[in-house]
Amino acid sequence: MAYFPSALWTEILKARRSSVPLLALIGFTLAPLMDGLFMFIMKDPERAREMGLLSVKAQLAMSTAEWETFFSVLSQAVAIGGVIVLSIVTAWIFGREFSDRTAKDLLAVPTSREQIVAAKLVVVGLWTLLTSVWIYLVGLAIGYLVDIPGWTTQLAWQSFQDILAIAGLTLLLMTPVAFIASMGRGYLPPLGWAVLTIFFAQIIAATGWGDWFPWSVPALFSGVAGPRAELLGVHSYVIVISASLLGLVATFYWWLNADQTR
Amino acid sequence: MKFAIETNGLSKFYGDVRAVDSVNLRVKPGEIYGFLGLNGAGKTTTIRALLGMVRPSQGNVKVLDQAVGPNGRGPWAQVGHLVESPSAYAELTVRENLEIGRRLHGIKDSNATSRVLEQLSLVPYADRKAGTLSMGNLQRLGLARALLHQPDLLILDEPANGLDPAGVVEIRQLLEALAREKGVTIFMSSHILTEVDRLATRIGIIHRGRLIEELDTDKLEQLRAKRLAVQARNLDGARLALRRADYQSSLRESTIMIEDARALDHPDEVARILVMAGYSPTRLAVEQENLEDHFLRLTSATEVAKGTRSK
Repeated sequence: MAYFPSALWTEILKARRSSVPLLALIGFTLAPLMDGLFMFIMKDPERAREMGLLSVKAQLAMSTAEWETFFSVLSQAVAIGGVIVLSIVTAWIFGREFSDRTAKDLLAVPTSREQIVAAKLVVVGLWTLLTSVWIYLVGLAIGYLVDIPGWTTQLAWQSFQDILAIAGLTLLLMTPVAFIASMGRGYLPPLGWAVLTIFFAQIIAATGWGDWFPWSVPALFSGVAGPRAELLGVHSYVIVISASLLGLVATFYWWLNADQTR
Repeated sequence: MKFAIETNGLSKFYGDVRAVDSVNLRVKPGEIYGFLGLNGAGKTTTIRALLGMVRPSQGNVKVLDQAVGPNGRGPWAQVGHLVESPSAYAELTVRENLEIGRRLHGIKDSNATSRVLEQLSLVPYADRKAGTLSMGNLQRLGLARALLHQPDLLILDEPANGLDPAGVVEIRQLLEALAREKGVTIFMSSHILTEVDRLATRIGIIHRGRLIEELDTDKLEQLRAKRLAVQARNLDGARLALRRADYQSSLRESTIMIEDARALDHPDEVARILVMAGYSPTRLAVEQENLEDHFLRLTSATEVAKGTRSK
């Protein structure tokens, strides 16, 4: 793995210089901002009435303005929004090499293709971790500014762990996105894949089989359809890990063996 | 090391299409090998196979005595390459793009980037984003990346693409110097046949996936030689008359070719001999075939032969 630090350095440089991961982060920051706005409205019924439609929508999403509700909504936003945003970032990290025709410069170099793919996946992982921490911190700051009642340190710590776990589950499901971006040689196929998985995740979760469908698991884990203990079992995590391993093996296999004509 | 590049029966099929068909290449260390072909002839597929980017359907590839693996294995620390159109990370500067190349090649010397910036006249653009470069400067960046690690072998696909005439000459001189002074082997494809003609020590012509001809230094010299082309109604009689006057000739496509210096200096004397012998020439001209003529004649001849066979 002598060349791995170099591969990682190059991937981090590309991510730092590009606007895509930054824009995705900014877009994702809307989640705690919206969550905070709802809390603000819920806290002050008078103002909520003045705001009309928004107030009704806020009441549909949550019942009381307190930290537990705030964190719950934030977790759900990370679970659902995370698939979209993380798919965009993964599609960009892998697909751009083909769209920009730079893949050919990564193939006949002493740094092995395995190390290059691994470095890309590590950057996706780092971005996920940083974004999750960022969103949580922004959430804390907004909650503090809105002065939401019901704070406990234990709740805050538990919510942080939940957000990280949801982000981790979503991250595991990014290996198929990486594979499709590589095989499809661009951004569009993986984004199409992301839309499809979100669509089917909703449908399958609604039929009650979501615990068997990997792409429904992060949302079910977030509590979007009720307490996770009732909805998910060990098998749910096993199929997420299986889907991830399948995507991982497919991505590595493709980079090592497919004809690279771009 | 006997060969810098060696392919044995290299073939690549895409369904029914034979992109490369049983190509046997032998490029010796220090050679400048020009690889010519029309669009779609199989040049780029061959180059990609040499670099392990496409998996041969049949045959094998050895580069610098190492087998090129289907999984990206190869002697890449000693090989520089430029494949098809140059590309770069648009949001990174020229220097950052080269830094990526330097690190992926595991080059410890941090001056390597500055060296190639200077070598390819890219210093004024070093801190400009690659996305703002002209096609010519992007090509220079691609070449700079290929030269970063001071490779023993350069595999270049259209290295002069997008360069202005001064740039073409500059790159030719650079490649010449690399081959002459450092013994770098160069395998290059190009559409600019005059450049290949000036630079290459050996030339291979690929057509419809097959390597149809290789020209070594002697053949190239022969090609560049002037000759007197004579046409007459009775070619056999005319050749006999010339032989009697001590002129050696050869026959090519209904034309008598004379390479004798006397004939080239005094074509009027040849005309006189033929007229006196009763075989008046219908055409008499001093010709010099260049690589372009040869290439076009060869590839069109192959087309005609294929057409005849298919009928």
